[in-house]
Amino acid sequence: MTVDATYLVQLTLNGIALGLLYALIAVGLSLIFGVMEIINFAHGELLMLGAFAMAFVLPVTGLLYWPALAAAILAIMLVGWAIYEVLLVRLRTDEFERSILITLGLSIILIHLMQYFFTATPRLVDTQYGFNGVEIGSIRITWTRVIGAGAALAAFAGLYLVLRYTQFGRAMRAIAQNREAALMVGIRPRVVARNAVVLAAGLCGLAGAAIAPIQLVTPYMGQFLIFKAFALVIIGGLGNIPGAIAAAIGLGLIESWIGGFFEIAWQEGAVFVIMIVVLFLRPDGLFKKGGMRVG
Amino acid sequence: MKLLAAPLASMVAALLLAALPLVTSSNYVIGIGLSALIFTVAAAALNLIYGYTGLLSFAQLGFWGIGGYATALTVVTFGGNFWWGLLWAALVNAVLAIVVGYPTLRTNRHAFVIVTLTFALLVTLIARDWVSLTRGPLGIPNLPAPEAFGHRFAGTAQFYWVAWAFSVAMLGFLYALCSSRIGRTLVAIKQNEPLVRAQGIAPVPYKLAAFAISAAITGAAGGVYCFHLGIIDPLFLDFYYMQTFLIIVIIGGAGSFWGVVVAGVVMSALPELLRFSEDLRMVIYGAILVVAMFVMPSGAAGWLRERQLLRMREHVR
Repeated sequence: MTVDATYLVQLTLNGIALGLLYALIAVGLSLIFGVMEIINFAHGELLMLGAFAMAFVLPVTGLLYWPALAAAILAIMLVGWAIYEVLLVRLRTDEFERSILITLGLSIILIHLMQYFFTATPRLVDTQYGFNGVEIGSIRITWTRVIGAGAALAAFAGLYLVLRYTQFGRAMRAIAQNREAALMVGIRPRVVARNAVVLAAGLCGLAGAAIAPIQLVTPYMGQFLIFKAFALVIIGGLGNIPGAIAAAIGLGLIESWIGGFFEIAWQEGAVFVIMIVVLFLRPDGLFKKGGMRVG
Repeated sequence: MKLLAAPLASMVAALLLAALPLVTSSNYVIGIGLSALIFTVAAAALNLIYGYTGLLSFAQLGFWGIGGYATALTVVTFGGNFWWGLLWAALVNAVLAIVVGYPTLRTNRHAFVIVTLTFALLVTLIARDWVSLTRGPLGIPNLPAPEAFGHRFAGTAQFYWVAWAFSVAMLGFLYALCSSRIGRTLVAIKQNEPLVRAQGIAPVPYKLAAFAISAAITGAAGGVYCFHLGIIDPLFLDFYYMQTFLIIVIIGGAGSFWGVVVAGVVMSALPELLRFSEDLRMVIYGAILVVAMFVMPSGAAGWLRERQLLRMREHVR
């Protein structure tokens, strides 16, 4: 097989764009796990709702990309807030299995309600950019992908600054590091947990809205992505945000390369094989030392 | 007297269930009975790993599907018979469970949940994409009826006996296992692992064994069920099955053998009653799951036990 350089670069760029979107989901999961020690099974459905929100808002704004994006993120943050106040607030930190089963129920409800109201027919989402793209030499990337990747990068930069320099973010890291000590200095776990869930939902809404013009939008789109996001959270180390981001970009690249050269079955199998190997070699994830333990 | 009551009641119930095809000739009703038997076995296997050992495994769905495919492929592609197919299904699954379980059980129970979940979804994708083996979305239709001693179990009513014999054997085995020293060790691991270690018992082999046995039984159950359907395709790995097993275990009461068996029979009939809309049925299932987790997190059996304890306490007072 001859390897065409243009093809390889194209695959690599697509892989990075894909990886950044995975990272948005995985980071949200990590954030919630770090603060509450629970796994949100319905996280993929938040992404799906984000994509649907984008699909519904775009025609209203006359296909303008940015206002629709903002509206979708806000909507999903509201959904996240509601999920926290109604369901998650009743969970204690040691109820890991219960958290999974409750959010699993929520995920079933969301998927099938969406399917009931809006059918399972895949939707194509059009934006002001259509299929236009940038061309560098013979490489071509659509604007929607470039913007999606850019927005994800901006979101990570924002997240880093928030976690590092604001009281809001420091409280989250404090709870993640030592719950009792955080309580003693007057940090309220309930408020911090709510903030974390809303923030994670916002990231997920951004991912969903950014994916909408790139992929077909269906009620099931979240399920396939969440499975990868779970694997990434394990590979990166549970609750480790930079680890999750690194693992996500790595996976995006590997998937893109494998998808370019091998059968599709290998592409899906890759993530699982990597996860098992990582668990064998480093049970606590690839990036245990260093980095910012969630916050 | 009280000691004999439970085995006696279960024997009577098993015999009554065996008589179902004699009472009704409706294939629809017998089909529901058959599903109830098989789902109960799969749920009891999930109960072994989740209820007794305390490890929430989503891999059951994967084992269920692999078992179905292994049995179907043994018969259709490799020219074996149904019984060998079931054996292969159990074996393949037990080996897979050990391969996946060993690295995962060394970490914490959080990682176990997530890895098993990804495993289940991976199996679905492979069933769909490995077309040369599984024939992809088309599936393998026209699975032949199994034979034994020159008798052909064709038709739902005949096949019901196969499923019945299988279920009674598996439930009997699981009951014996769960009420043995091994079962008690598993419960001890769930309740307090450090204490179990302090007693000189290594928990990992027990956990692995429970996972492998649970996988083997789930796989064989999947093998029987796909021959009831007569076809296997990637829809056999629909998450719906996993939800059914989970809901049976949770409603019945994780860690309670008879609670799960009773819930299995009752809950398998429920979806048929809810069959007015395919989509809303799943919404109701999700709602049952969420509400049950809040109202009675330890299931009907746990709820009854709590009430009993409360009454005893009042009595003492």
